Amino acid sequence: MAILVEQLLNALALAGLLFLVSVGLSLVFGILRVVNFAHGVFYMLGAYLGFTAVAVSGWFWLSLVVVPPLVGVVGALLEASTLRFIYRRPPIYQLLLTFGLALILEESVRVIYGPTAKGIDPPPLLQGAVEIAGTFYPRYRLFLVVLGIVVGLGVWLFLQRTRTGLVIRAVAQNSEMADCLGANVGRVRTLVFGAACALAGLGGVAAGPMTTAYLGMGIGVIVDAFVVVVIGGLGSIGGSMAGSLIVGAAQTWGAFYLPETAMVIMYAVMGVILIFRPWGLFGEEE
Amino acid sequence: MRRRDFLKTAVAGGIGASLSGAYLQPAWAQNPIKIGLPTVLSGGNAQYGIQAKRACELFGKEINAKGGILGRPVEFIYEDTGSDPATAVRKAQKLVEKDGVKFLTGTVLSSEALAVSAKCPEWKVILMSTINGAGSLTAKAWNRYFFRVNTSGPMGARAVSLYLAEAPMKRFFGLGSDYAWGRDSVASFSTQITAAKKEVVGKDYPPVGTKDFASYIGKIKQSKAEACYMALPGQDATIFFKQAFQFGLTREVKLVTEILELENMKAVGEAMAGTIGSTRYPFTVDTPKNRDFVKRFHAMHGVYPDMFDGETYEGLEWLAQVIQKVGTADDVEKVIDAWEDSSYEGLEGPFFMRKCDHQAVQPGFVVEAVKDPNYPHLIPKILATYPGERVTPKCRTEEFA
Amino acid sequence: MSRTRVLALAALVTLAVLPWALARYQLSILTDLLVFGLFAMSLDLIMGYTGMVSFGHAAYFGLGAYGSALVLIHFGQPVPVALLAGALLAGAVALPVGWFSTRATGIYFAMLTLAFAQLLYTVAYKWRDLTGGSDGIAGVPKTTLFWGGPSLASPRAFYFLVAACVVLSLVACCALVRSPFGRALQAIRENERRFTSLGRDPRPFKLVVFVIAAVFAGLAGALFAPFRGFASPEVMFWLFSGQGLMMVIMGGIGTLVGPVVGAMVFILIQEVLSSYTEHWMIFTGALFVLMVIFLPGGLVGTARRLAGRG
Repeated sequence: MAILVEQLLNALALAGLLFLVSVGLSLVFGILRVVNFAHGVFYMLGAYLGFTAVAVSGWFWLSLVVVPPLVGVVGALLEASTLRFIYRRPPIYQLLLTFGLALILEESVRVIYGPTAKGIDPPPLLQGAVEIAGTFYPRYRLFLVVLGIVVGLGVWLFLQRTRTGLVIRAVAQNSEMADCLGANVGRVRTLVFGAACALAGLGGVAAGPMTTAYLGMGIGVIVDAFVVVVIGGLGSIGGSMAGSLIVGAAQTWGAFYLPETAMVIMYAVMGVILIFRPWGLFGEEE
Repeated sequence: MRRRDFLKTAVAGGIGASLSGAYLQPAWAQNPIKIGLPTVLSGGNAQYGIQAKRACELFGKEINAKGGILGRPVEFIYEDTGSDPATAVRKAQKLVEKDGVKFLTGTVLSSEALAVSAKCPEWKVILMSTINGAGSLTAKAWNRYFFRVNTSGPMGARAVSLYLAEAPMKRFFGLGSDYAWGRDSVASFSTQITAAKKEVVGKDYPPVGTKDFASYIGKIKQSKAEACYMALPGQDATIFFKQAFQFGLTREVKLVTEILELENMKAVGEAMAGTIGSTRYPFTVDTPKNRDFVKRFHAMHGVYPDMFDGETYEGLEWLAQVIQKVGTADDVEKVIDAWEDSSYEGLEGPFFMRKCDHQAVQPGFVVEAVKDPNYPHLIPKILATYPGERVTPKCRTEEFA
Repeated sequence: MSRTRVLALAALVTLAVLPWALARYQLSILTDLLVFGLFAMSLDLIMGYTGMVSFGHAAYFGLGAYGSALVLIHFGQPVPVALLAGALLAGAVALPVGWFSTRATGIYFAMLTLAFAQLLYTVAYKWRDLTGGSDGIAGVPKTTLFWGGPSLASPRAFYFLVAACVVLSLVACCALVRSPFGRALQAIRENERRFTSLGRDPRPFKLVVFVIAAVFAGLAGALFAPFRGFASPEVMFWLFSGQGLMMVIMGGIGTLVGPVVGAMVFILIQEVLSSYTEHWMIFTGALFVLMVIFLPGGLVGTARRLAGRG
């Protein structure tokens, strides 16, 4: 029983982390129709800046609040200076431009921080373990579950219930019409891209205490994020949640019960889902 | 002749990193002895290539200050392979055919080393391994132009097995990354520890690049193992140590690793105190020669030497000695002949280059990660030293007598 | 003679003469560039002419490399036999993969190709007895041109084999895209819905071109293995697929010869930059961003535009 509870929590914690990373990616695709390959690097940037923030101030909670907007600003600046010129082109161009940005950012992080991984400790409140159903479970992972839910709700509420959210959704549905109706489409795009990067950065800050901040963590997570988003359906927050849960469970339980398949189980699940629903679970037919 | 300029940067505060600078060599550098390094300087494995480079920089500075080898300065040419064997071969070929290099070293991945080593008979250059642990390099895939100065993977597993055979623990779990080195290491350990009448209660192979070891930690707990033998590469090990600590695994299970690196200890911190394992080179070896090396290394680079810093330095020093003795750096065949069956007093102890497979027979160490107030991070305390003959496998094999 | 013909002739002559003009090392780089050029060109067939972006094209290069490596190491056959084996293996695997993947379009298609490619990568990585696992297969020999024929061990001889394969492949692909089949592909790329509404099913076309592209990628891989002497899983990894996409865009999407040029430029830039600085990734990335923004037609596409062609 303890094992089952532990496995369930493992899947949820991993799903929480995956959700934080993928929700931004899904939004950028759904709203901007851009496949942002650099998304993983913003995640990494968040982790490294989180390390610095904790090292300088000693406050993890502070870094959780301060770092994501910083990452968001970096993302917004990059979007405004590069991506915004090529929105009319076929999506492959945007994908490759973000690929180029990813190279630049990744190496820049290495120049600044060096090649050694940076360890970050969870804040005292989240250290240690809690006893649940006969097993000791790390507090920090429970925090990830909660954080994922909170962020998901927050983003959903923002998009559905606020005026800015309404404008964003309008631009997503029909940018020309929204433009005619007075929305500043360019600014909306920059805002969304920046927000998505901020979310990725948040994921990075949250991941730091669990995985350390290390080079290559962006590349390591980007494919997972893509799979989550594709399973869930591009542009859907609920889809990202569903996708995160599915991938989190597949990876965790796959590793435990079917160890030889650990490398491919995520792809197998995605393949099966796409056979039955080629646009993802909550996606829209193109 | 190719020169590289590097930026020298120092950043204050919590952000710390510095890039070493190499300065243009003076015009007297005629007819240098060139050593080429097709190594990894970017991406995830860069920390290993940088170790090789640091050792070269220290060695180069010192030897050239003494007039070089045979009166010729030593010149190092670094190329970045980005952890890709195809690039490694391309860069190695460039070093050999364009730069006229006769000695290659610094290969990081075993797949890179295997690919480059296979070309050495065609190019007639020596590949000196100071990092690669794959057993096959001196067994199945061996050729005359390949020399391994470092402790190999099987040797590391051997040292650990010898130590644990005497230890009170009886039930072991084997956790190896799912690729050649990880699997071979667990297999080697498993064979040896079973021969010592102990039990392997479970094995698991997480994919390379795993960032969440929760399931594996759960399995280890479930198996009721007393100790877990790990063969995980640098970053994966770092993540595992951190998460094992968070799950409280380290309280119940003793962690034992084939390679205990300073890189891990710096990134993980106290959470891995008490971990034991083998190491390719511990900087805590207490001999006058090593203490002096550590001091000079720290003076130049500001950090303590990690495994491959030491191994690479030893390789360079030995190669220099061989070249000095044989009187030529251009006749590769003569250098090979002279290197075979030669001895060398290294930082870690006595080395002997076996003729049959060019594996350097050298002492094996088992160390423990301990806290020491004199150092900013955990250090490897030596628990046991084994003489070379006990830890080196039979010629051209990965098995032990 | 039309301008294209003149250029083509000039290129052929240059390729034929270069081995005597270049140093040994430079010739080997050129051979390398041609191999990757062939890979990029094969990707252009599906990307530029059919509008299908694949994230998993590297898998077919890899299959070609492994197939060729195994034939050469275990059976010692002449190189063309190995080339055939590699190309056919790639094509054979592409058939079921393409069948499944072409059920989806756009990003979903791309992700399916990625999934299959990663699956193949995993097989190569884990099937140690056959593929050498993560260590790969080293020591692949360059054998002969045909049974009892001349050895291909010299750099010049192998260069001519590679150059011949690339030129012939280019000619074949050009013929393909000009044929009715090729025109159908371009119609699909322009507007798939209209194609369907005209009563034609795009799927068989997509499947066939997917397999053909895989065969040429496999040929490139099959040349790679004896040339570099090894095959390893890295050549099947998605990062290499991504680099292929970059080569196509850099050279000029939908021009066939553009991607060949793109591959050469891409690799040369990395070679040169990485010899000058550790931080070559920053410059490569920046160059790439600039190219995507300012030269969307790629090098060849822009050159053609400047030369006044449509």
